[in-house]
Amino acid sequence: MEERNNTTTPANAAKKCCCGWGAFVVGLVVALILGWWVLPNLMKETKRQPIAFSHVEHVQNQGMTCEQCHFVRADGTFSGAPTTAQCAECHSTILGNDPEEARFVREYVQTGREIKSEWLIYQKQPDNVFFSHALHFGPLAELKGPAEVSAFCSRCHLNVAETDVPPVYRENRLSGYSENTMLMWGCERCHAEHMAMGNTNASNACFTCHK
Amino acid sequence: MDRRGFLKFAAGGTVGLVASPIIWNTLYDAVYWTQNWGWIPRLKKGASEYLPTVSKICPSGTGFLVRTVAGTPVRTIGDRNNPVTHGAITALAAAEAELRVSPARLKTPLRRSSDGAYIAITWAEAERLLKEKMQAAGSSVAAVSGDPTSSINEVLSSMLNQKGSSDFYFMPGDEQPAALAWEAMGGQGRLGYDMEGSDCILAVGAPVLESWGVVAANRSLFNRTHPVGGEATQKFLYAGAVQNNTAAGADLWLPMKNGTDMALMLGIAHLLIKAGKKGFAAGLGNFAAFVEAYTPEKVSAITGVPSARLEAAAKMLVEARRPLVIAGSALGSGGSAGPVMAAVALNMLLGSVNRQGGMLDMPFPVSVVDHATEYRATIAKRFVDYTQSVAAGKTKAPAFLLVYAANPVYSLPADAGMKETLAKAGFTVAVASFMSETCAQCDLVLPAALGMEAFDDVQTPYGSGRVTYALARPVAKPFENARGAGELFIALAQELGLELGVKDMPELLYKHAYALGAPFRSMMEEGKVHVAGFDLPASPLFYNWEAIRLAASAPGAEGDLQVAPVVVLGMGTAQTAIPPFATKVVTDYQLKGRYSVAQMNGATAAKLKVKAGDLVRLVAGNNVEITVVAAIFEGILPDTVSLAAGLGHTAFDEFSKGKGANVLALTSVCREPGTGLPVWGLAGVKAARA
Repeated sequence: MEERNNTTTPANAAKKCCCGWGAFVVGLVVALILGWWVLPNLMKETKRQPIAFSHVEHVQNQGMTCEQCHFVRADGTFSGAPTTAQCAECHSTILGNDPEEARFVREYVQTGREIKSEWLIYQKQPDNVFFSHALHFGPLAELKGPAEVSAFCSRCHLNVAETDVPPVYRENRLSGYSENTMLMWGCERCHAEHMAMGNTNASNACFTCHK
Repeated sequence: MDRRGFLKFAAGGTVGLVASPIIWNTLYDAVYWTQNWGWIPRLKKGASEYLPTVSKICPSGTGFLVRTVAGTPVRTIGDRNNPVTHGAITALAAAEAELRVSPARLKTPLRRSSDGAYIAITWAEAERLLKEKMQAAGSSVAAVSGDPTSSINEVLSSMLNQKGSSDFYFMPGDEQPAALAWEAMGGQGRLGYDMEGSDCILAVGAPVLESWGVVAANRSLFNRTHPVGGEATQKFLYAGAVQNNTAAGADLWLPMKNGTDMALMLGIAHLLIKAGKKGFAAGLGNFAAFVEAYTPEKVSAITGVPSARLEAAAKMLVEARRPLVIAGSALGSGGSAGPVMAAVALNMLLGSVNRQGGMLDMPFPVSVVDHATEYRATIAKRFVDYTQSVAAGKTKAPAFLLVYAANPVYSLPADAGMKETLAKAGFTVAVASFMSETCAQCDLVLPAALGMEAFDDVQTPYGSGRVTYALARPVAKPFENARGAGELFIALAQELGLELGVKDMPELLYKHAYALGAPFRSMMEEGKVHVAGFDLPASPLFYNWEAIRLAASAPGAEGDLQVAPVVVLGMGTAQTAIPPFATKVVTDYQLKGRYSVAQMNGATAAKLKVKAGDLVRLVAGNNVEITVVAAIFEGILPDTVSLAAGLGHTAFDEFSKGKGANVLALTSVCREPGTGLPVWGLAGVKAARA
């Protein structure tokens, strides 16, 4: 009984408290390292695009516009990334000194290999999502210059317009989807809150996106 | 570390994990992982192509581009390079890629077993059965086609002719009464309408923007002549009982009681003659004397159209440089010849025959298959006369009856005798793409490929003002076990030792193209549509006032209320039923739950003591009774109810079966005075709250 009473003395209590906080802090730090760095890297596989395509070279140095490669077809479908044949309209032969361009011409243009089927789509959605680029391009006509256009596109996409090499593609090992794939809450920023980006009047009914 | 220290470490770890994104990221990934389950359908990825061809399920043979991904059709869109449609597409043709894989699509040959159920058989068995039954039938064979624009009809009629039978028919449509009327007025060729060349069109009873004629071309023309925010370059007038889409688009709508088309046109003829429009031809004096009695006041009393509006319509026609009057039926079948005769007479008064923007005497499609019946002769034959005669026992039932691309069990009135003919026939075969009511009554059901899956063609559809020729090319593989009907019939003819003069469908199509001077290779390889020139003959037209007088004496439908059917291609045809893709455009004003909706104006509803949403019993003269839901719409004449056509199927799939009532069930076949043509365009009903 005497000993038990002694454990409640102020001196003993202070000693126990200090040791307990240390364990808590260690646990916290380990978990933060695991949660912010180790596990995310373990769960994601890093991939690179088949060719180190430079948007800067094409847009800023060669003066191309976005619509020359990414356009809406007559039926409202979006072309997405260009095909080897489209690229070969300029790159039928090697034009410059870039080793990546030479590799593209050698491995894709000259062999007929399709670059589009190998290109990694950062925002690729599951098949049950029916997304129409044409319907979301309404404000494009009012935008002035590539900077405004890329800012508009980067509301959903990575801003690749000013990159010299494509961003790293990180694929989740569990689901097989890119870490940049937009989740439904991203869509609902406009579809559920009409005034979030100007009055879009977008319907939030299920069949608007899911067919 | 003691127990308490471990717990604190764990608590720290938990807080750390919660403060990191790993849990939320894992949850997100789990959400995406659910999309990897094997039973979730996957899209087929691959090269995207846009291949021009024509629709064979759309009655106007709409030209379109089929978008294929890795060879699979995923969508159909209008073709801007098509000289007929200029990029327009009908609601039915727009649904064709989805219809290709519809639940009602026939996948394999089916044979009815002794207990009535269908069993799947192979094509080899089906072909053997076809050959045996047709051989055994001798000359007792009959066939009906629901696709008058196809060359496949020539193969069928040739086979029947060589077997010694002349019983090849087209399903009733708008062209039969028009052909009869045109001939009665002295026309020698095929009746055509140069709508593009006209600056003022009056359509009486013919919903040209919904179902009459070459709908895609009509709508394209309307879009071009009525630019949004701009001045209309063509005046468009419509007379009909319901403010449908055609009426809504019209510059002037003449709200005309159902079945009073002739009185309206005779009233306009009266006003035109008064205004000095007297296109001379034999019989003008008698015709002018006959229409003298059709004063605006009298016509207004008969038709319900205010006389001021009637006079306004006549004035617009008089002032137009190239006016054109068109008459047709709302249902697209069962119409009378009389209104077309009256329309021809109006065009004659206006000088609008065989000139730009008028009625045209066009050449009939030519036949290139040996022993085939000419189009002109086939269009003059009356299928309903034949089925009624068989049903009544006056004509011997055929030992072999083939129904191609048609659904007569659904699309003809009950007293047309189709069910009885099928029951009496020795062996019945349906060649169709979807499991229709007719298929469900046949002994053998053969799955036909769609236009985008096989070789076929579209020869000038009725309603056109130009001679056109388009090829249907196989831009996709036939669905499951379906097969091109043309190839099937040609192979059958060869098996039976019959001479057609063609060995396969490409050769048949080539012969047609050659006959028209069309560039076959570019049509086949690039999907180009040919528009042929033709000479306008000097037809000895005359005012057949006696025939017009007789037709005008036809009694209206009996009953308290007139039924005004509304046909929209979005609801499909008798052969397709409602396309699953189009179910979302079927509104609460057409179908409510399992009931058809009867639209009526407030005055009619008050008279019937019903309000919107009430169930109403409609009893037709033939004692058929249907229950509908009442809806109030002021764009309908008093004592008239409007019902959407295309509902009330008892076959097909969950998207059509048991939905609403078939408006054709309320109609009965009667004979038009003078012509004796079987008609069923009008229905009168008694109504009471259910």
